[in-house]
Amino acid sequence: MSYYFVIVGTQDNPLFEHEFGTSKAGGDGQARFPDQARHMNQFIVHSSLDIVEEVQWGGTGQMYLKCVDRFFNSYVSCFLTGGNVKFMLLHQPPSSAVSSTGGAANPRSSTSTIATNPTSPQTEEAVRSFMLEVYESWVKAIMSPFYHVNMEVRSPVFRQRVAAAGRKYL
Amino acid sequence: MQSFDHNAPTERVSTPPLAASALRSPKSKARQSLVDTLPLSLSQSEVSLPYRRSHPSAASLYASTFSPPGSRSQSPVGGRPLSTRTIDSSVFGAGPNNGLALAAGAGDSPGDPLNLILRAFVPHVAIYTSEDTDVLLSEKGFDRGLWELLRPFGERIQGKVIIRDSNGSSRAYEDYSLHFTRFGEGLAHPEPISAGLRSSQGPRANGVSEKPNEPARSSRSGTTIAEVEAVVERHLTYAEESVFGAPHSPTNHRPGANTPSPYYSLYLRRLLSGLPLTPHETFAHPVACVIAISSRNQAPIETLRRLYTDSSTGDKRLPNWVNGEFLRYYVLVHDEEKDDITRSMSLFDSMKRNLGLHCHLLRIRGTRSLATDDDSIPLPRCEWMSAAEELTELRKSEDFEGYEDPTKYIFESDATAIRTFIREMVMQSIIPTMERNVSLWNDQVASRRRGIAGRFIGLTRRWGFGSNSRSSGSGSSTGSNYDSLGFYQADTPEAILRKLADYAFMLRDWKLAYSTYDLLRGDFNNDKAWRYHAAANEMAALSLLIMPQNLSSKTRAETIDTMFEAAYYSYVTRCSAPYGALRCLALGLELLRLRGGSSVDDAARWGIRLLESKILGPVGDALIKERLAVCYGSKEGIGTQAWGSRRRKSALWNVLGSETWLAQSKFIQAQRCLNEARKTYSDLPTDYGIDKFSHASTFMANIGQALNENMESADRAEEETAGAESEIVDEESEALGGNGRRRASSFGFPGGAATANLESAPLRSQVDVNKVEEEVEEKAEEKEEEDDDDEEEDEEDDEEDDEEEEEEDDDDDEEEEEEDEDEDEDEEESSDEEQEHERTHGREQDPNKAKDDFG
Repeated sequence: MSYYFVIVGTQDNPLFEHEFGTSKAGGDGQARFPDQARHMNQFIVHSSLDIVEEVQWGGTGQMYLKCVDRFFNSYVSCFLTGGNVKFMLLHQPPSSAVSSTGGAANPRSSTSTIATNPTSPQTEEAVRSFMLEVYESWVKAIMSPFYHVNMEVRSPVFRQRVAAAGRKYL
Repeated sequence: MQSFDHNAPTERVSTPPLAASALRSPKSKARQSLVDTLPLSLSQSEVSLPYRRSHPSAASLYASTFSPPGSRSQSPVGGRPLSTRTIDSSVFGAGPNNGLALAAGAGDSPGDPLNLILRAFVPHVAIYTSEDTDVLLSEKGFDRGLWELLRPFGERIQGKVIIRDSNGSSRAYEDYSLHFTRFGEGLAHPEPISAGLRSSQGPRANGVSEKPNEPARSSRSGTTIAEVEAVVERHLTYAEESVFGAPHSPTNHRPGANTPSPYYSLYLRRLLSGLPLTPHETFAHPVACVIAISSRNQAPIETLRRLYTDSSTGDKRLPNWVNGEFLRYYVLVHDEEKDDITRSMSLFDSMKRNLGLHCHLLRIRGTRSLATDDDSIPLPRCEWMSAAEELTELRKSEDFEGYEDPTKYIFESDATAIRTFIREMVMQSIIPTMERNVSLWNDQVASRRRGIAGRFIGLTRRWGFGSNSRSSGSGSSTGSNYDSLGFYQADTPEAILRKLADYAFMLRDWKLAYSTYDLLRGDFNNDKAWRYHAAANEMAALSLLIMPQNLSSKTRAETIDTMFEAAYYSYVTRCSAPYGALRCLALGLELLRLRGGSSVDDAARWGIRLLESKILGPVGDALIKERLAVCYGSKEGIGTQAWGSRRRKSALWNVLGSETWLAQSKFIQAQRCLNEARKTYSDLPTDYGIDKFSHASTFMANIGQALNENMESADRAEEETAGAESEIVDEESEALGGNGRRRASSFGFPGGAATANLESAPLRSQVDVNKVEEEVEEKAEEKEEEDDDDEEEDEEDDEEDDEEEEEEDDDDDEEEEEEDEDEDEDEEESSDEEQEHERTHGREQDPNKAKDDFG
């Protein structure tokens, strides 16, 4: 499973982007998106903002909106912060061709359902934990006195923490 | 039957020419402006294109999609027969309905999908003529007989047609139509289900005797997706060739967001026209058969009898899954110029005495009409010709140089006579017969199934219908009427119910149609008659969606989704009938879209499903992507921020559409999609649209770049005047205006770069060059070279294709495959380019990431 994590500001501007792969079940933590997915991931996440906006005002008052959208093989989960900044996580289960090579190191039978089923409760729980941890780091990061709204975050510390959270939960 | 005699002369005087009569209602006049902006009219054969690259006389073949510049100034009454078609909003009656608002309005435009659906599933009338009639008609210039002459007129029946539904309430429709077919044409034979499923095959008199005819009949097996693709592809290519250098390309006028592109309409229309005569649906089964003789016939009554026998028991008899008890309508074609009217009158009287009231005396002039004749009008082009037929015609026009404009002319008096004839036949014979059949079948067959007893019987699967089904039911022990040959015979209850449902659908009694299809779904499922099952599910879903009533989202999820799912699965997996699946999902997409609200999401979901299924060819793929953009775009949001709208999604699909078109070198379409996408992005309430997503906006910029290079190089190759070119550039920058400016000022990166590059060379140097833009430009130059290469290759490919077509005129499939391969190669190339670019771009991004401050 490959992940593309992006934090989107209030004006549809990405504040932070990070790509990583699963570290569970022998994954090496590398994203395995095909090359053309670079722009497609961005398009998909951007288009999912439509759904996020709808769910955001329609619903439950939760910050974690779970899996909001799907585009072919890509699933998008969303977490809203209090400042209307959106954490968007695009996850792409490996297609059969990729999984056969990726799973060579470790047989698929032992993997958790996170890798295979993006809408299962386990996956949603894992994503929630990931989001909460990132949220914590995020709040700390933007407490910097030099940060103002909708500014891109380039802190390597923050990036490390996101990566660590990804390794830990996804 | 006397009526024609005193009607015809007066009508002849009072009826304005064809075109004018089509426009008579005030409503359609008001709509004329709309119609004018749509490049859909059929009659632009007379308009001369200011610049035409090739086949000047072929222009009329492409008139349905290509709107020549200046067509808008054409006088509405000038030469526009049958072009304005309207749907009375009364189609959906009154009453609250979430589909109504959109549906009633959307039905107005001729290319609208709903309108297409209504006019695709109409009664089919077979035409079977004597040899002397064929001779008469070929002297008149119609080599393909009476069918060719009548066909265009069936597509619009003059005046209102009043239909009574099963509850006895009448409703008038202004847009009713018929399809004329040649008797026995378009037969598609059922594939026998695998042997061994049912071992006991009783001998069937009908089933066996049918075999000898098979080879001759199965020559044409209905519409294939490949043919539809090929037709639309040719239209697109024609537009590409013709539009460069024309000052106003169709790219530039933006019709309303809901108006489908003419190519999409064409695609749907060709998909729906030429429905094959199949067992699993009875739309193409003849509702009536016109049996025609001419006044030259020496033994008229005997000939009529012979023709009747041919059509019911003789060689030409339809297979036994077609209900043979359709209406026979006898027509005497009288040649006004050579034959004696009094003789024909007396013959006609004796016809009525012998054959009943379903007769007509059609008086036409026996000579060929020329364009130069005073009272000649062009025969309207047939809109609903099958894809195969249009393809043949287009090929012919490409193949040989001296191709003549295929428009034929007829005398105005003939047109009036034919219109009167068709109207009379529909009003007095066909509709009443259908109504009678519907109520008969409803009482005798359907109502038995609907009651409690019927349900019980249905459960036990031990029920019969009279003695007929017993004798023909092959005595199979399962009690199923489903034949081992893979069809239900025409007299089994299932076949009759299906026919009832189809009749109800054609008579627009959606409720009855739906309830009957719903009954059938279960039966076919039990019998494992998968093709029937798929078709019944498809039509049940469609009739439920057309019905003017609110559907809760729960109903939708439970009923419609299940039905589409079942239809899709049965068509694709069980029957491998991709055509059915495509038709089902495309129509479902349109009808769901028209319902608005959350149905739009469902519509899009089915559209994406269609894309995923890989049953579409390249053209269909691009068209559906484009359509998904429209679909998402038609969802309206709430409040100032338009929450709940799908504008970003709409834009995404436009970008994808643009990419797909570009890969097929359809630059006009690509440009149009890209402009739409840019406009949608710039209209977003947020500040940046997609600009800040660097890869995505670079990708868009690259598409724009590639388009520009291609269009410019095409223009150069054309040696077109600089004037035209600059005008094109004006139009583009106008279209992008607000967007480009805002982007350039707010950010100055790819969006801005793209627009700067759109505005040709001189401006390029003025653009303040930052690092990124430099790179984009370098890229562009590389790309220009590559694209030039691509173009040359494409041209070569085209030439090859042409040659091949000359050689193997009939072999569509092979050619399609080759085209596909070509396009695949192109796609690979272009994706290579993209990857390369992304790599460079990725490197450039890295330093940014490494910087570790907050700005």
